Parts: sequence; structure tokens; C-alpha cells
Amino acid sequence: MPPRRPRFRQLDLLILVAVLALISYILYRVQFHFHYNWNWQLIPSYFARYEPGSGNWVLNLLGQGFLMTVRLAIWGGLLAALTGGALGVCRVAHSLFLRLLSLTYIGLIRNTPPLVFIFIFYFFISSQLMPLLDIESWIADAGPGTLKGLTFLFGPLELLPNFLSGLICLALFESAYVSEIIRAGIEAVPQGQWEAARALGMHSGQAMSKIVLPQALAKMVPPLAGQFISLIKDSSLISLISIQELTFTGTELAVSSGRVFEVWLTVGVLYFVLCFGLARLFGRLERRLSRYH
Amino acid sequence: MNQTITSRLRQRRRHWRWAFDTLAFLIVLLGLGWIIVEGAGTLHYNWQWYRIPQYLYHIEDGVFYSGPLLRGLGVTLELTGWSLLLTLIFGLTAALLQRSSSWAAHAITRVYVEIVRNTPLLVQIYLVYFILAPILDLDRFVAAILALAIFEGAFAAEIFRAGIEAIPKGQWEAARSLGLPSHAIHRLVILPQAIRLVLPPLTGLAVSLIKHSALVSVIAVADLTTEGRNLIADTFMTFELWFTVAALYLVLTTSLSLLISRLERRLPMHSAGH
Repeated sequence: MPPRRPRFRQLDLLILVAVLALISYILYRVQFHFHYNWNWQLIPSYFARYEPGSGNWVLNLLGQGFLMTVRLAIWGGLLAALTGGALGVCRVAHSLFLRLLSLTYIGLIRNTPPLVFIFIFYFFISSQLMPLLDIESWIADAGPGTLKGLTFLFGPLELLPNFLSGLICLALFESAYVSEIIRAGIEAVPQGQWEAARALGMHSGQAMSKIVLPQALAKMVPPLAGQFISLIKDSSLISLISIQELTFTGTELAVSSGRVFEVWLTVGVLYFVLCFGLARLFGRLERRLSRYH
Repeated sequence: MNQTITSRLRQRRRHWRWAFDTLAFLIVLLGLGWIIVEGAGTLHYNWQWYRIPQYLYHIEDGVFYSGPLLRGLGVTLELTGWSLLLTLIFGLTAALLQRSSSWAAHAITRVYVEIVRNTPLLVQIYLVYFILAPILDLDRFVAAILALAIFEGAFAAEIFRAGIEAIPKGQWEAARSLGLPSHAIHRLVILPQAIRLVLPPLTGLAVSLIKHSALVSVIAVADLTTEGRNLIADTFMTFELWFTVAALYLVLTTSLSLLISRLERRLPMHSAGH
């Protein structure tokens, strides 16, 4: 539609001017009203710093926090997939008992703020479940090799009970959303598949595991990938119960160093790089997979 | 004859099974309740439910006064209302910009949506509160509204875009053949029809806005969660207060969902030329 061109050029110009005006206004306020003096040189040293005593590099707060977020994402993702999968299967089960139970759990979690849920469950898990598991004595008995492996997998061991409480909170909360994806995937498999499986003499467990779930899985992968990214973002909530992940170390650093603007912008960029990178990666994998179907 | 007997038997068996399952479910709920009470007992937790009502409301000389929790609920509602309004504005603007053929509009909405969707809301709240608010001299309540609206606006944009695209092509062609200019097509033909389509997902958005508004307690806006946390710090009635706060949120979100689903049934859904 050639005659329309000029009007959109106008819109382009308008938007560019508006954006530039907003940015320059903010910069003007920072410089002349707020008198903030930027100091970006300090930021790299918050990731890792050189230790002259031992002569090697050690991770500083932001680096440790980032690594902890990655650990939370991996373990939380696994745990949420397991519990969410079980819940999702309960949600479509024959037995009314299982359906009622899973429906109550999912309904409760989806209708209360994640923050409130995390606070409630944290008190329970850290005061009831953790003493039951008795991790401290378990660590005390472990050999040095195991300890090193555990540190690599779960972070500093003195924080392990703390880390596990946060991890369980995150996974329990995220599993409600995973289960809805699983349910939708199972329900998207045509009824005829069930009937055909039953006609071949399979019982309902076999039909589920051999016929329906494999087909449902293909449909679940894209939304599950999206949920994994949500899990990474939601893991920032765990900072409020003092789990030392990226947002928590960001808060600590912003207070202790006073470089509020730089630290928060860096934390934001780190999350963005992690989530956006994963989103692009999943998108590419998905396209490649769909080529084979 | 034989068939009716077996089908009746089968039906009766099903009824028994339902009754049994419901009973088992109730027993499990009771068991969980018992575990909570017992678990608290081993911690020597002192349940003081009788102290909760005074934090909700109290009546003096026949006059109703709302307590901190109800006041917090009011702040949560106020916060949600304002940010919902702003969310709709942001979302609609972004959706319309996305639909235009201007590259600058595309770029700016793309950047906005990607940034919002790929960073945690908590970090966005900190970014607005610690960076934008001092620069622009915003008070914390406005900062909270802005942060929530920026976040939900990106999701609203997607809802609006899908709603507009779901309008059949014939509607566009008909409007264009009547000689309507583009803005009039949007305003008079497309948006009125799209509203019906976007109402259910927007309800979901409003519910998630209520839930996400709990996060502004980290910047000490006096909403329901903040009031709850303050009371817990004062009284140490952790469980009673958190359960009450959760129940209040639950009432708010479920009643909103019910209200809208009733509203939806009254709107004619299939009038958009299907």
C-alpha cells in the first residue's frame, strides 16, 4: 500500500523523538538533579577477585549468587518436573480421591501470592522437615571427596539445609504450574488413543505410560521450557527467605557497597542474559525438532 | 432386564466409590490439619486464633473500625486497581504499536516485551524503586504501581494482540471497503469485538496482578502482605497471621474469577461474524 508510507515515517520519527527525549530527561535528572557519580569499574571485581595470599581467583558475591541461581534452576527444575508430573497424572486420574487432592493443592497455590506461599512453607520446611532429614550429621559423616562433590552440586555446605528449604519451596510452588501443563498435554491426546490401547488389552497404567504419555510429551515440551524460564525468574523470590542467590547477593552488595544503580542494573542484565539466552536456545531446539515431525 | 440390573449395580458401585473417595479426601485433609497442629505442638507453638479478629476489625460503641489487615486489603485493592488501569493502557498501546508497520514501533515494543519477560518481577521492582523512583522523585506507592503495570503491561500486550488478530479478516475488509480510516477501523469495528475475546484472559491477568501485588511489600508499601509481616514481627503469631493473609487473598482472587465468569456468560460470545 504505497500511499500509506509517509504516515508511518511520521510515526517512526515521533517514537524516536519520544524515546530520545525520555532517555535524555532521565540522564539529565541523574546528572544534574540527583548528582550520581557512576563507577562501573568496581563491578567486574564483584564477580571474581584475585586473592594475593593464595594466588588464585575466587568468586565474589555476584559470581556466587549467579552460580547459586543456576543451581537452584537446575535442581528446582528437576524436582518441579517430578512432583508436577505426579500431580498432573493425579489430576487426570480415574480416582476421585486423587483428583480432589491434586485439585485442592493446585487451586490453593495458584490463587495465593507466591510470596505468601513461600513464607508459610518455609516456616514448615525449615522447622519440621529439615530436622527430620538431619542433614548436618549426614554431612559430618561424609568423606572429603563426597564433600567436594556436594559443594560443587549444592554450594557451600554450611548453607545446605537453608538451600534445600528454599529449593523445596520453589519446586513445590512451581510444580502446581507444571502439573497444569502436564494435564493439558495428556488431555490433548485424542480419546481414540486411550480406547485403542484398552482394546489391545492394556490396563490403564500401561495405556498411560506406553501410549498416551509419549505423545503428550511432545506437546508439553514448549510450555515446559517456558515454565523453566519462569522458575528461574521466580527463584528470585527465594531471596526473601535468605537463600543466597543472585537477588539476595545483589541486595547485600547494593547496601554494603553503596553502588545501588550499578549493582541493580548488573543484576537485571544477568537475569536477562540467562533467561533470554535460554528462551532463544529453546526456540531454536523447538524449530529443529518440529522439522523432524 | 439383565442389562438394567448390571447397569444399576454398576452405577451404585460408582456412587459408593465417589462417597469413599470423598471420605478419604476429607480424612487426608483432617490428617494434614492434625500434622500441622501436632507439628506446632512439638515446637511448643501457642495457637492464639482468638486474637486474630481484632486485627481484622473491631467495633466500638456500635461503630465499625477496620483493623490493620483490612486496611492492608484496601491498599492491595487500591494498588491493583490503579496498576490494572495503567496495565491496560500500556498493553493496548504496545499491542497497537506492534501492529503498525513502523519499524521504530516494532523495535520499541519488542525491547519492552523481551526485557519484562526475561527478568524477575522482584528485580524489576527493585530497579524501579531504587533507580527510577529517586531519579524522577516518585513516592513508593507510585513506584509500586508503575513497576506492577510495566510488568503486567507486557503480558496484556500479548493478550490484546491475540484478541485483535482473532477478529475475522472479513471485518477489516468490510470496514476498509466502507472507506473508514485505519484509526476508525480500530476504534469502531475491531476493538469492540476484540473486547469480548480478551475479557477472559484479562481476568487471569487481574488475578495474577493481585497475587503479584504482594511483592511490593519488599519496598514497604503498606499492603496486605506488609501488614501481615509487621503484625508477625510484633506478635509472633506466624501461622495464624499467614493463614489469615492467604485466606484473604484466596477470597479476593476466587471471587474475582467467579464474578467475571458470570459476567462472561451474559456477554454474547459468537457475534463476531463466525
